[in-house]
Amino acid sequence: MLLIRRRVLRSDAGFLVLMLAPSLLILAAFYLYPLASSVWFSLTDLSLLRLRRGGDYIGVRNYVDALGEAEFWRVVWNTAFWLTAVSVAVRLVLGIALALLLNSPALLRWRLRTPLRFALLVPWATPPIVAVAVWRWLLDPQAGSIDRALLWLGLVRHPVAFLAETATVWPAIVLILVWNTLPVAALTLLAALQSVPHDLREAAALDGAGSIRTFRHVTLPHIMPTVMILAMLMSFWTFNNFVYVWLATGAGPGRYTDVLATEVYLRGFVDFNLGSSAAVGVIMAATMATFGLLYLRVLWRGAPP
Amino acid sequence: MTRRARLGDAGVVLAAAATLVFLLYPAAVIFSGSLQTNETLFSRSHFAFTWGNYRRIFAAGFGTYLANSLLICLAATLGATMVSVMAAYAFSRRRFRGRRVLLAVVLAGQWFPWIVLVTPLFILFARSGLTNSYGGMILCYTAISIPFSVYLLLGYLETVPRELDEAAIVDGCTPLGALWHVVLPVMLPGVVAAATYAFLLCWTEYLLALALLTQPSMKTIPLGLYQFFGEDTTDWGAVMAGSAVATLPALVLFLPLQRWLVSGLTAGSVKQ
Repeated sequence: MLLIRRRVLRSDAGFLVLMLAPSLLILAAFYLYPLASSVWFSLTDLSLLRLRRGGDYIGVRNYVDALGEAEFWRVVWNTAFWLTAVSVAVRLVLGIALALLLNSPALLRWRLRTPLRFALLVPWATPPIVAVAVWRWLLDPQAGSIDRALLWLGLVRHPVAFLAETATVWPAIVLILVWNTLPVAALTLLAALQSVPHDLREAAALDGAGSIRTFRHVTLPHIMPTVMILAMLMSFWTFNNFVYVWLATGAGPGRYTDVLATEVYLRGFVDFNLGSSAAVGVIMAATMATFGLLYLRVLWRGAPP
Repeated sequence: MTRRARLGDAGVVLAAAATLVFLLYPAAVIFSGSLQTNETLFSRSHFAFTWGNYRRIFAAGFGTYLANSLLICLAATLGATMVSVMAAYAFSRRRFRGRRVLLAVVLAGQWFPWIVLVTPLFILFARSGLTNSYGGMILCYTAISIPFSVYLLLGYLETVPRELDEAAIVDGCTPLGALWHVVLPVMLPGVVAAATYAFLLCWTEYLLALALLTQPSMKTIPLGLYQFFGEDTTDWGAVMAGSAVATLPALVLFLPLQRWLVSGLTAGSVKQ
């Protein structure tokens, strides 16, 4: 019996090829080929204006130039700190708070759990392009309700152009991102929270632990693997993101909110310098590949699927 | 009820109310804004109901964009889900040399910056005449959907007992037959979740469409929506109506499928 099973599982190379070939061929054409040609472009002075002629090989000059610019490091900082670290941290903290709220018996008593669960689906189902559009309206200094509310409350004297002023533009972009993607975090964390064994928390409570201590010593360690995986997944999705910044501010005011994804676009399609655009893109891909390997190590801890 | 418990309840209700407003207000603005004239959109005092915004966007070609989006996204979803099920099944049930590396390469698509694809695909499409074609766009969207679909389906397949398909094979099923007749019905929620995510990914994709679809008649909804934002003035009524049209299909998919979507995400990410 064992022998038969082994042969069935191991012999059919043809079946394996048939099952894997379609995906692998498509991925090779749409990821590996573009990556390889980006690496090649990044070593040339290819210009969008002289596409037909092609570029000349110039070695690693594009990389040296980019890494030597203070502006490039400002863009890296924007991407790593504002776009990714801040937005992921805010989503995790609010996500845990929201999951705890959804899980609280008081919410159930007041029959608010189901409405809240369904309300979470609304921002989640809203396409990012639409989220940016509606928040551009809400944050608009002439028409937006936010400025109107702040004026009415007497918190500001003049309407604030949130997306056009350097002091407020990053928090505003993070706000849009958080509104749109908080539900995924909250619902995933809720599922983790609900998997915490009930008697574990009861035992802690019986031992005299208050709700804060129970959370710190029982609940939090239990949901920590989910928090980690979620943090990494959200980091990938956000670090590479183009639309939130591009559609909210066009990397402006000036190039104040420029991030790596918009920088690749600007270098290539506004400055026409495809070589240096590709270099920044390859740096981005390499950074992500490093974090990706780290992620797989966490995900496959000891036991790959 | 003690005073403390009452205070606690009040806090919970207040927090829930604030959260509800935060989550729902922007969506309410879209739908109510899409049904008012541009003039009343800017004044608080009155509300003039109109279908004018919808009429205007459909006159400006939104019907074409809607059709393009539906065609491209449905075809890509179907294609990506099919090939992803096959690949995930092979990865889950077979042990072969190079498996871990291949799987890592497939999953790596999830954290690959799409912006890097833009220039090479732009040039490739221009050279092979795929720019502004349904076929090219469908293939491209199939490709970007595969990595996450494989990841989700792999998570689901881990919850389907191996004995099930092994028994079918011992009973004389071909491997493909075992997948089709035995495994697929069991993992159907996972397949539906993966297909939904793939559809939404394509439905909302902006960047690649911007680079690869340049003809107005080929545009998809995300491109169509952002053409209402002008350099100086924005047709906000049209933006709201377009936003409503872009959001409705997603909402319609989410409401019935929400539980599967959430459990799918965790099934893929948490191995317990």
